[in-house]
Amino acid sequence: MEIFPALLTVITDPTLILAIILAAIVGMVVGATPGLTASAAIAMLLPVTFYMSPIFALAFLYVIGKSGRYGGSVAAILFNTPGTAASAATQIDGYPLARAGKAGKAMKVATISSVIGDLMGDVMLVIGFGFIAVIALKLGPPETFAIYFAAFVVIGSVIGKSIIKGLISALLGIIVAMVGLDPISSEERYTFGSFDLSNGIGLVPLMIGVFVLGEVFAQLEARKKAKGEIKENPNDPNGYSLSFDEYRPCIPHAIRGGFIGAGIGVLPGLGSAIAAFISYGEGKRRAKNPEQWGKGALEGIAAPEAANNAVSGPSMAPLLALGIPGSTIGAILLGVFLIHGIQVGPTLFLTDKELVYQLFACGMLGIIAYGLIGYFGASQMARLILRVPSSVLYPLIFMTAFVAAYSARGSVFDVTVMVAAGFVGWLMRKYDFNVAAFVISFVLAKGAEETFRQSLLMSDGGAMIFIERPIAAAFLFIGIAAMGFRIRQIMKEQRIVKGALGDA
Amino acid sequence: MRDVIEGIVLALFSLIAIWGAWQVPGASPGDTWAGIVPFAASVALLVLSSLLIVGGLRMADHGSAEIKNGSPGTLDILILFAIALLYQQSFRWFGYLLPTAIVAPAVFYLFGVRNWIGLAASIVLCPLIFYLIFFQLLGVFPPYGEVFDLMDWIRS
Repeated sequence: MEIFPALLTVITDPTLILAIILAAIVGMVVGATPGLTASAAIAMLLPVTFYMSPIFALAFLYVIGKSGRYGGSVAAILFNTPGTAASAATQIDGYPLARAGKAGKAMKVATISSVIGDLMGDVMLVIGFGFIAVIALKLGPPETFAIYFAAFVVIGSVIGKSIIKGLISALLGIIVAMVGLDPISSEERYTFGSFDLSNGIGLVPLMIGVFVLGEVFAQLEARKKAKGEIKENPNDPNGYSLSFDEYRPCIPHAIRGGFIGAGIGVLPGLGSAIAAFISYGEGKRRAKNPEQWGKGALEGIAAPEAANNAVSGPSMAPLLALGIPGSTIGAILLGVFLIHGIQVGPTLFLTDKELVYQLFACGMLGIIAYGLIGYFGASQMARLILRVPSSVLYPLIFMTAFVAAYSARGSVFDVTVMVAAGFVGWLMRKYDFNVAAFVISFVLAKGAEETFRQSLLMSDGGAMIFIERPIAAAFLFIGIAAMGFRIRQIMKEQRIVKGALGDA
Repeated sequence: MRDVIEGIVLALFSLIAIWGAWQVPGASPGDTWAGIVPFAASVALLVLSSLLIVGGLRMADHGSAEIKNGSPGTLDILILFAIALLYQQSFRWFGYLLPTAIVAPAVFYLFGVRNWIGLAASIVLCPLIFYLIFFQLLGVFPPYGEVFDLMDWIRS
């Protein structure tokens, strides 16, 4: 019930409402611009939020994340280029509809379904967060470390094509996080005598480097590759409006997608792309018109869009209750909490309960904001985005990355870190390493180390403490089982490919 | 073969990381060794790098088709990376304004802008706009150029 006073507080604060509306617009623009991601925008804007109050900063970035997920569908439908990985599933039916002159209809379905899914996710978060927080309070260091371990393994092995490369990415994130002074004994690690390195690698420059500068490098490379011509979509006079009768068959798909997305959102690392594709597959399997799917079925937009956006709210549950971000956006938000001196984890519910519920309320209002803006203005916004040439946009982003990295701590060394991280981020993408696993592991490493060493102290140096305590053992098993499941899945896929090649 | 090269590079990195972790002094009584997590992560990285090398060698033995990954944009990226390195270093030497005024048209040109008026405008507009937003509006203290600072010169 804490959500209602929180909603009232937010609604009566005009500056907060303004921040939510602004964030909804920024997120939509960023999500709809091919090549730009909500993560990049949040990383770039992170230093700006240093000068805001915690709730203002968190709400601003959280709503950008939500709106950015939705914005990806605009580019997928109109330009046949998914603005985000998650909206690739929307593109399957969205673009054929746009080619048939029904882009407006498709975008309205995407907007309504995104709002349904996102609100479902947030309601489940509000209901479930209290329970998760109560359970989290009972966990000791061995259990918490086991959860961290499971998160590392799941994030490293489940996302991406290669388990080895995923786990290597996670380990690289851990090693980079170890640079600097040990927080317990103050011993120097990997500093090689450098004073700058003894302060550690900053989260903000690393994020800006990997997500913003890395993306600029990737876009420069993409410019040299063959470019597809953007064809103007035909305009059907009836293709803009959407009646309730037309949307009615989409409702069960949107609700199912909402549940799928919310379920996947709680699990760290899986993300909205997986949710969108599972929901699309499940929707098609249960559809009354499966033959229409892929050729321009409105239901084929509703199912993935609802799931894609429903991930957003529940992915905050492990972040807030355990301090374990489930996504890159979550990892950046964790940085915002830390920058503003708020300790995320089981005690957050006791120390900053009001802030948490106000953030949830801001998220809900953000959904309504991007829903209204998207429903009435997505087409106009898309036309505006098309007018900004990428040859102007990316150099501006390049220069913003430098000044944003510097502004975080007023440190030129941070700019150096950002440049290095940008190049490494581009290399990782180019050679199929997992950038998300790298960043999330970087963020998790310090907490994991702390709980690991506390556990060793509790057991006088014995590692059996992780096996003897049932909850800890269960989470270790979940991590290993997830990896085993993924190995099995990859082997199965390889057998199918080999079989297909043999038949050829 | 690509996996083998990636594996070798990562194995070398992990060996440096193991050596770095080994340099961490031992724990005092009743405490845990500060190098335990970096050491464990580095060893795990070495193991996974070895697996990557073995997998790559196996694929090479089976004569798997290798997809050439040469990209026409690599040279441009190396140029942009060099600009980025020089740009960040020149903050220390020349502060914010002068390096930005020089880098802005170079980056626009690299991204395909060929309008000379636009490029000339970027020399003034980019440093000015970023300076106003970050160093005036947000109150961030700008980097001071040790060799020459344009802002100092303008003020004087």
